[in-house]
Amino acid sequence: MQLSGVSKALLVAGMCLSTGMMLARAIAVDGISERARQLHFSSIVIDTHDDTTQRFFDPGFDLGARNALGSIDIPRMKEGGFGAIFFSIWIPSKITGPEAVKRALSQFDAVHEQVRKHSNDLILVTTAEGIREAHKQGKIAALIGVEGGHMIASDLAVLRRYASLGARYMTLTHSGNAEWADSSTAKSEHNGLSEFGKDVVREMNRLGMIVDVSHVSDKTFADVLEVSKAPVFASHSDCRAICDAPRNMTDDMIRALAAKGGVIQVNYHVGFLSQEFRNAEKAHPEWDKAIALEVRKRCGDRQGCQLIEGDRVTREYVLRGDLPRVEWTKIIGHIDHAVKIAGIDHVGLGSDFDGANMPFGMEDASKLPRITNALLEKGYSEGDVKKILGENTLRVMAEVERVGHELNAAK
Amino acid sequence: MRQVRVSLIACLLVAGFLFCQVATGDDIADRAKKLHFSTIVLDTHDDTTQRFFSKDFDIGKRNPDGHIDIPRMREGGMNAIFFSIWIDGRIMGPAAVQKALDQIDAVHENVNKYSKDMAFCRTAEEVRRAHAQGKIAALIGVEGGHMIGNDIRVLRMFGDLGVRYMTLTHFYNDEWADSSTAKPEHNGLTDFGKQVVREMNRQGIMVDISHVSDKTFYDALEVSKAPLIASHSSCRALCNHVRDMSDDMIKALAAKGGVIQINYEKSFIDQAYKDASDKLTGGVVAMMDEFKKECGDNDDCMNKKMNEMTEKATAEGKLPHVSWERIIDHIDHAVKLVGADHVGLGSDFDGANMPEGMDDVTHLPQITEALMRKGYSDEDLRKILGGNLLRVMEQNEAVSREMRAAQ
Repeated sequence: MQLSGVSKALLVAGMCLSTGMMLARAIAVDGISERARQLHFSSIVIDTHDDTTQRFFDPGFDLGARNALGSIDIPRMKEGGFGAIFFSIWIPSKITGPEAVKRALSQFDAVHEQVRKHSNDLILVTTAEGIREAHKQGKIAALIGVEGGHMIASDLAVLRRYASLGARYMTLTHSGNAEWADSSTAKSEHNGLSEFGKDVVREMNRLGMIVDVSHVSDKTFADVLEVSKAPVFASHSDCRAICDAPRNMTDDMIRALAAKGGVIQVNYHVGFLSQEFRNAEKAHPEWDKAIALEVRKRCGDRQGCQLIEGDRVTREYVLRGDLPRVEWTKIIGHIDHAVKIAGIDHVGLGSDFDGANMPFGMEDASKLPRITNALLEKGYSEGDVKKILGENTLRVMAEVERVGHELNAAK
Repeated sequence: MRQVRVSLIACLLVAGFLFCQVATGDDIADRAKKLHFSTIVLDTHDDTTQRFFSKDFDIGKRNPDGHIDIPRMREGGMNAIFFSIWIDGRIMGPAAVQKALDQIDAVHENVNKYSKDMAFCRTAEEVRRAHAQGKIAALIGVEGGHMIGNDIRVLRMFGDLGVRYMTLTHFYNDEWADSSTAKPEHNGLTDFGKQVVREMNRQGIMVDISHVSDKTFYDALEVSKAPLIASHSSCRALCNHVRDMSDDMIKALAAKGGVIQINYEKSFIDQAYKDASDKLTGGVVAMMDEFKKECGDNDDCMNKKMNEMTEKATAEGKLPHVSWERIIDHIDHAVKLVGADHVGLGSDFDGANMPEGMDDVTHLPQITEALMRKGYSDEDLRKILGGNLLRVMEQNEAVSREMRAAQ
């Protein structure tokens, strides 16, 4: 499949040389059809989860220049037709209390500063309308998501101020439990959401912040659906029916999320996309340790470097034949499964770029038009593709904003 | 001066309110009232924020204690207020940051709650707009650089949350700036402290030099590209307190376009009171420490204790009476020194001992009238009441725009 792709590309390249630019635009070397290109670059493409924020602390990283490593920078976002990106605020979940707050603020600042620095290309927005406006101006809308409720230090005042600094969603937990919510990857402590956890969800509703159920335990998810007055989303999760990882969602969960008007934003991480990859990882826990060690050797404590090198070292294992090779088309498999389960209105994109191990063919933001191309080839209508690329997320945002206004007015 | 007050009271007692109005209701009183209630009256320092955490306090209602609430601000014609974000200067690092966020949040939440009466403002233009809409402009000042947790990034986020000035220190030294009430550690501003000042310039956050040591003041003056403010300090020439400013300092501040916002605290405006108070309590820091033992972190309790103590000591004759007219003396001294463009009001309401006759914000129109009687022009009065501070805010905003554009 990969070989035929290459030979097709070579053939097309030859045709381009002989027939000139017009044809080159019609079928480019990357195999994206003109129809897909037109659709992709006229749509609002939203990615709800990118860990690029960590890289802002790396003095060698320039968001404005094309970088050899990692997946996200402005040139590659433009090439990939990004209309909006959620920069993730993240610190390890074992850091809690005031220390977590201070570090989170540093990351808010890093995002704000990058947007200020690259104000010709980026604009900080907080609403669905803001994303549409940015799209009209030809700018990439920058938004903020907080990945882990531990960063509010059990303090609703802190949550509210994050909202005023632009946070538009908060993932209730990361890999560890928050003081008030269970994670999918830790031992249950709170039987889902604690009473305070429910208050957090209610306050998020009032603030017009999207409640993000990626990372949380199944019980936390069920509690959130019961408490939340607004639709919720999973900012970066896949389908458990295809790859049985606790970070992914069962068909029932996806249906329940959709019934509430929410969206599952498909994650491109190979360990969530591919059961085969996950099995191989589980069969060799020693590799995981070896990879972590190697990353530490290369990066020390530098979080941004760790995320990038984690992806690189893992790929070295794949190239050696230790870990299975996962193709980008797996992403399409998850999108398609979720659409079949929950309908076209409830699926979107949450890459996890710069924070996960990317499949072959989806190494960075520039590769995104492939998704549009593949969905069209699968027979999705242009309207359907637009929904997946961003319109579903915009709908959820607008609805969450509306509920927020309503709750504030009723107070 | 005190006799004036006594005769006023006598007037009230003997002839009743109406007669009193007539007796003092001369042309100047009317003109002063008209001016006061038509202009922007801005106070750069109020510690009311601490009261937001007390269950008994509701800023929307008239409170029997304290100095500030919406009904009394309306009555006193105060239509722009800087709510102070303050925690004990010995709390540092991440804990200080979170506590500061809690207080910033409390201001925002209270403004949201009373959005019919108050509007949150970040710029001079927004203050003017709020005034035009008949709303009280609410602004935020952070009282003490220790709250940024030694992190420029946190400072910037404070700016984004609407903080419009930061006092570089409180009673204790920061990690990067010396306070006027602590032993010098940094010989003024450290290099990082200078970086903080530059970043404040870039953010359009006014640099407040109240509380800082004289050396820190001169360092800040040298580094800052924008005019500075003293958000709540009085004149050392009239009351020799380290928290006040010497004539030279006031001149230097004014030469750079800045403004001294006169503080109403008794021990900052009256030498006899200051001397007696020092003898009695060992100075303001020692006194606060003593109350802290009883009150812990409850700042509302601290204020109450402080007021009770001073009232009792005054009644017992251990502390002298201080008339509100000392405030006028300080304003007048500063104006004579540097002109009417560089003086304003920074009461320290809800955070200090008010002189007699300035029991709360409702007494504010007295200041306008007293200055008018002294011959101050309407224009000068408007400047002192708020215009000067708005000018400094605008200059800070302009410097911020320039610095960001030059980046």
